[in-house]
Amino acid sequence: MTDDVLVVDSLVRRFGDLTAVDGVSFRIAPGETYGLLGPNGAGKTTTISMVAGLIAADEGTVTVAGQPMTPRTTGPKRHLGLVPQELAIYPDLTGRENLALFGRLQGLRGAALRGRVEEVLSLIGLADRAKDRSKEYSGGMKRRLNIGIGLLNRPTLLILDEPTVGVDPQSRHAILESVEALSGEGMAVLYTTHYMEEAERLCDRIGIIDSGRLQAEGTRDELVRLIGGVDTIRLGGTGDLAGAADELRRIPGVERVETERRSAVLTVKDAPALVAQVVGTAAAHGVTLADVEISRPDLESVFLHLTGKGLRD
Amino acid sequence: MRNALTIAGVELRLFLRDRSNLFFVFVFPLLLVLMIGLQFGEGATTGRVAVSGGDSALATGIVRELETDDVRVSRPAWDDALELLARGRLDVAVRVDDAAATAHDDGGPVRLEMVRGSAANAQVVEQDVRSAVDVLRARRGQERALEAYGVVADRVDDALSQAARATSVPVLEVRYVDELSKEFEGLGQFDLGASGQLLLFVFLACLTGSATLIQARRLGVVARVLAGPVSAGQLVAGEMVGRWAIGVFQGGYIMLASSVLFGVGWGSLWLSLLVLVIFSLVAAGTAILLGTLLGTEGAASGAGVGLGLVLAALGGCMVPLEIFPDTMRAISRITPHAWAYEAFADIQRRDGDFLDVLPQLGVLAAMALALAALGGWALRRSLARAM
Ligand SMILES: Nc1ncnc2c1ncn2[C@@H]1O[C@H](COP(=O)(O)OP(=O)(O)OP(=O)(O)O)[C@@H](O)[C@H]1O
Ligand SMILES: [Mg+2]
Repeated sequence: MTDDVLVVDSLVRRFGDLTAVDGVSFRIAPGETYGLLGPNGAGKTTTISMVAGLIAADEGTVTVAGQPMTPRTTGPKRHLGLVPQELAIYPDLTGRENLALFGRLQGLRGAALRGRVEEVLSLIGLADRAKDRSKEYSGGMKRRLNIGIGLLNRPTLLILDEPTVGVDPQSRHAILESVEALSGEGMAVLYTTHYMEEAERLCDRIGIIDSGRLQAEGTRDELVRLIGGVDTIRLGGTGDLAGAADELRRIPGVERVETERRSAVLTVKDAPALVAQVVGTAAAHGVTLADVEISRPDLESVFLHLTGKGLRD
Repeated sequence: MRNALTIAGVELRLFLRDRSNLFFVFVFPLLLVLMIGLQFGEGATTGRVAVSGGDSALATGIVRELETDDVRVSRPAWDDALELLARGRLDVAVRVDDAAATAHDDGGPVRLEMVRGSAANAQVVEQDVRSAVDVLRARRGQERALEAYGVVADRVDDALSQAARATSVPVLEVRYVDELSKEFEGLGQFDLGASGQLLLFVFLACLTGSATLIQARRLGVVARVLAGPVSAGQLVAGEMVGRWAIGVFQGGYIMLASSVLFGVGWGSLWLSLLVLVIFSLVAAGTAILLGTLLGTEGAASGAGVGLGLVLAALGGCMVPLEIFPDTMRAISRITPHAWAYEAFADIQRRDGDFLDVLPQLGVLAAMALALAALGGWALRRSLARAM
């Protein structure tokens, strides 16, 4: 456990009367991608700011690569790559100059610096625009530069704060792919988002955060299991749906059946295992099925279950 | 230290890259040096006098005397002289008519017609002409006296120069009629404007830099820098050094360009540079303080320009300190500009050495330290609070 890249223990941060982060703890192992999933104002950026040593925690500790992180320490910051939510680049410097500047501040010099800058430029696909001032870049290019700066020092822990907000689908896809690639190379990633698809796709483990509290944590499947068997099977068709409903309720594993005129919705433990039996039973009661739909719970429903509200407001 | 220098380097680079800065940094100060030189500078150089009338001992004598006083003398006809005077091309016109020339030769009372122009220094030039005539009359009187004692005319000159060598008659040379003119003695035409503009623009250049600090914070690059292995102290030092470098750069440029283009004399170079270096530190500290206290770039630029102009005006950079009334002069001492202005005055006009300007440098250094400490503290505090 001690070789965890990041250990966050009982962090608390208040702004006046508001407790923006309220006892958050989690760990990230080397090479692991950890997602903080939560709606606007949940406390994601505040948590990350403490992890990166930008603001002090009121309570709790952050340990990066075994070293305690506070705003006053610079040592553990060498292991971090931070990609802030808002673009943090100099608009009047070119892409290459931006990278060179931050690389120098990371302690890179001379040939090592130049080499790394070129590597990152091609990694983020900006090699051919490196000489243009970054204010002339498109939104997606700026975002990629913003990410590139976080990669300069080959961090052990890369922190990405909602890197895909306001990005067109194509750039978004490129960003997600490069995060997957980096994680494949063994970089640990802390990724915040309020898009559950991103969390599901990228993250090994996910922490669900709301109102400053970590509501639940685990792999996607663990989280889904938390809220129990709530798969649904929806049958659409004509015939005696109401009559079939009584028979369907008797199938072991079916918890609830609600019918309307042309459809029935079953709440079941394990939809894929039961669907054949359900369809057979319905057919036996003279129901002519037009469609069958299985849905399994996603993080959205987990979130709804945990907090009583949706991820997006 | 490396980190601080890296940050400072970016500040300087961004400053020079901003197109709108280029005019204000490179062209505008020199334009003002030129304008102020034309307005205030004339009194400090020679006057311009026309001596009209045919060749005579009196006329050539006046011309010779004035020219040894570095006055520019021309010999137009009287009507032309009056017209030049009216157009401001002359300070004083003197008419040496035949009657005056004869009276002079005979040692009688000489009546000269003299018209003075309206330029600020015409009075001083008039005094130059009067003393030139006085010198000639005294000399002529001596000659007449010797001749009366029977000295042959050819020998009179020798006798007088011998006498002049033998005795040390106190020579009373009235060149300047008031204290003010005396202040500007030894000053080239553009020197006065140059030091004032240097102070004005160094301060302005630094203060407009306060907007870039606000921009950097708004853009989040400040936070990003601090998320790397860079301490808040290094960041503050870098921002400070960056602004200071901008000030020194601006000042150094004005010194170089004004001396090449307008022949401005800066006196002892290293002393002038020392004043610039310390004054720039005051400006840098002020800029950091402003950039920390104000919330938006617009507010910072506005306040920066406003403060820069007011302090410069109070500190004698627009109108020379020497012509301030006493109370204003006292008030001017709250500005760093006034102290630096006086240091430059010592160095440029009076060949002041290090000890002469030590008091001014001391006050400036104290201001610089106080402001740098205050600015650094405020920036650090605001970084810790609002990230
Ligand atoms: N500097 C600050 N001063 C006062 N309140 C703050 C400050 N920073 C954040 N907050 C508050 O703390 C809460 C959490 O904010 P935070 O930025 O961490 O949310 P977030 O999860 O990152 O949201 P988003 O998805 O919108 O980025 C919010 O209510 C916010 O208003
Ligand atoms: Mg956020």
